[in-house]
Amino acid sequence: MTILAVEALTKQFKGLRAIQDLSFAVERQSITSIVGPNGAGKSTLFNMISGYLKPTAGRILFDGREITGMAPHVVCGLGIARAFQIAKPFPELSVERNVLVAATFGRLGPRDPQATTDRAIEICHLTAWRHQPAASLSIGNLRRLELARAIAARPMLLLADEPCAGLNETETREVIGVLSTIRDSGVTVLLVEHDIKAVRRASDRVVVIEAGRKIADGTANQVFSDRAVIDAYLGTAGA
Amino acid sequence: MGAFNTPVPSAIWALSALALAVALFLPFVLPPFHLRLAQQILLFGGMAVGWSLLGGFTNYWSFGHTAFFGLGAFAAGLLSQQLDPGLAVAVRLLIGLVFAVALALVAAVAIAIPVLKLRGIYFAIAMLAFAEILGEITKTFDAFHGTTGFPLPALTVPGLTKVQLFYFLFLLLFLANIAVFVWLRGSRIGMGLTCVGQDEDTAGMLGIPTERYKLVAFVLSAVLAAVGGVLYGFSLGFISTGSVFRIDISLNLILYSMLGGIGTVLGPVIGAAIMIVLTQVVLGDLLDLHMALTGAVLIAMVILAPKGLIGLLRQVWTRRRPAMEEGAS
Repeated sequence: MTILAVEALTKQFKGLRAIQDLSFAVERQSITSIVGPNGAGKSTLFNMISGYLKPTAGRILFDGREITGMAPHVVCGLGIARAFQIAKPFPELSVERNVLVAATFGRLGPRDPQATTDRAIEICHLTAWRHQPAASLSIGNLRRLELARAIAARPMLLLADEPCAGLNETETREVIGVLSTIRDSGVTVLLVEHDIKAVRRASDRVVVIEAGRKIADGTANQVFSDRAVIDAYLGTAGA
Repeated sequence: MGAFNTPVPSAIWALSALALAVALFLPFVLPPFHLRLAQQILLFGGMAVGWSLLGGFTNYWSFGHTAFFGLGAFAAGLLSQQLDPGLAVAVRLLIGLVFAVALALVAAVAIAIPVLKLRGIYFAIAMLAFAEILGEITKTFDAFHGTTGFPLPALTVPGLTKVQLFYFLFLLLFLANIAVFVWLRGSRIGMGLTCVGQDEDTAGMLGIPTERYKLVAFVLSAVLAAVGGVLYGFSLGFISTGSVFRIDISLNLILYSMLGGIGTVLGPVIGAAIMIVLTQVVLGDLLDLHMALTGAVLIAMVILAPKGLIGLLRQVWTRRRPAMEEGAS
């Protein structure tokens, strides 16, 4: 069953076409990864799904409903949460309050903010920092706060934007572990990640984009043995 | 549920009740000059709390709150002039008040929709311009009598002097400002606005309807300022553009908040008390120095205590407490 369908999506910034006629679908309860070189348009894609940017053309369907061009808070209310690549905490609020905000707002419907907050903090191993202001956290903890907040928004679809960037091997494993836990609890994860090893380990499906176009789509093994993908990452062998 | 719950300690409630009792008693013991100071502290301190409904939680700092203050004064004043002089002044004031509130509501919604899309300094400047424009309109069109000014009917209540009467009216408005602020802070909207103040884009991404919440705070803030203008106009008995569309009112509301502590209930009141006593008592005869003093205080606060006096006290308190706990163990 498809939870997210992107249809012929295009984003034109003045002279640059960041996303070009991109179509793909995300299956419910999967971890689907979007990979591609820097500047391939991954963040632009996330910005459009989460409502921060309006597409130039094309449609985005979530849970059978068209969400193209809706405001971010409406998209979040429907059940899409996003963890940013560059952590964007509310710096002066404690870890707990950061998460509590997402648990109080987030997806519409019945909710128990305190219980959701407690669980999200626990899943993301943040209990020790619970009462500290977010501004005092290390990069690794900030990443997990970002995830905890996204989970607390009770999404059906979680957009994780490079959650492992800048983390060491152990921290990466930890974050991938958290993502698997989230998937197993019934949430679909759409992941943008550069760490190919992490992507292979975590993903059920991989979509590769380059210069705003899709060049491959399949299981991790299929995709990473694809000639076009190897070329995109390693460059074409000359002559 | 649905907000940051910071329970108010019972000591605070007790102190507030005590302060209110004292405030109710003051008009019967203070000489008129001091009562007039207290009046100003209540009116402008209360309005600074009202300004904080938006500016205290977010960085949407209105530099033109006098727009709504003046709008209220002019709307109620002009209408009460037109009403049948046979009507009791209190009734005319009430009708004027209702009209001013309705007008402020409409004006606030109309101006909020474009200006709340602006951020930071651009919002501040747009509000500054809005206030200037309203002031100019009242001066340009004769119907408003802004240049020459016009009298308002004198409100009297048997048994109370004029100063006492307006002291009580300002006290009422002061309490209304505080009540709205405390309610907002404890609500979902307050939680959402606090997040807007920290990072507006992230707030939206977490499902906070940022535009709607900003609008609610802005409109409440504007309406309370308009009520302030109505009461102030009646307390003066004669208003002109120069007496109610005053940039120094806009700036003072911000100054009081910064001095006492932005985003706190008591901060703007403390700030107002300090500045009003400083300018009216200490420098009472040196009018020329008021703006210089205001500037000096502002610079000192920005550098030394950006979170205001309350922020400074909290900092000292949290620094001392762990030390005391260590000492005890």
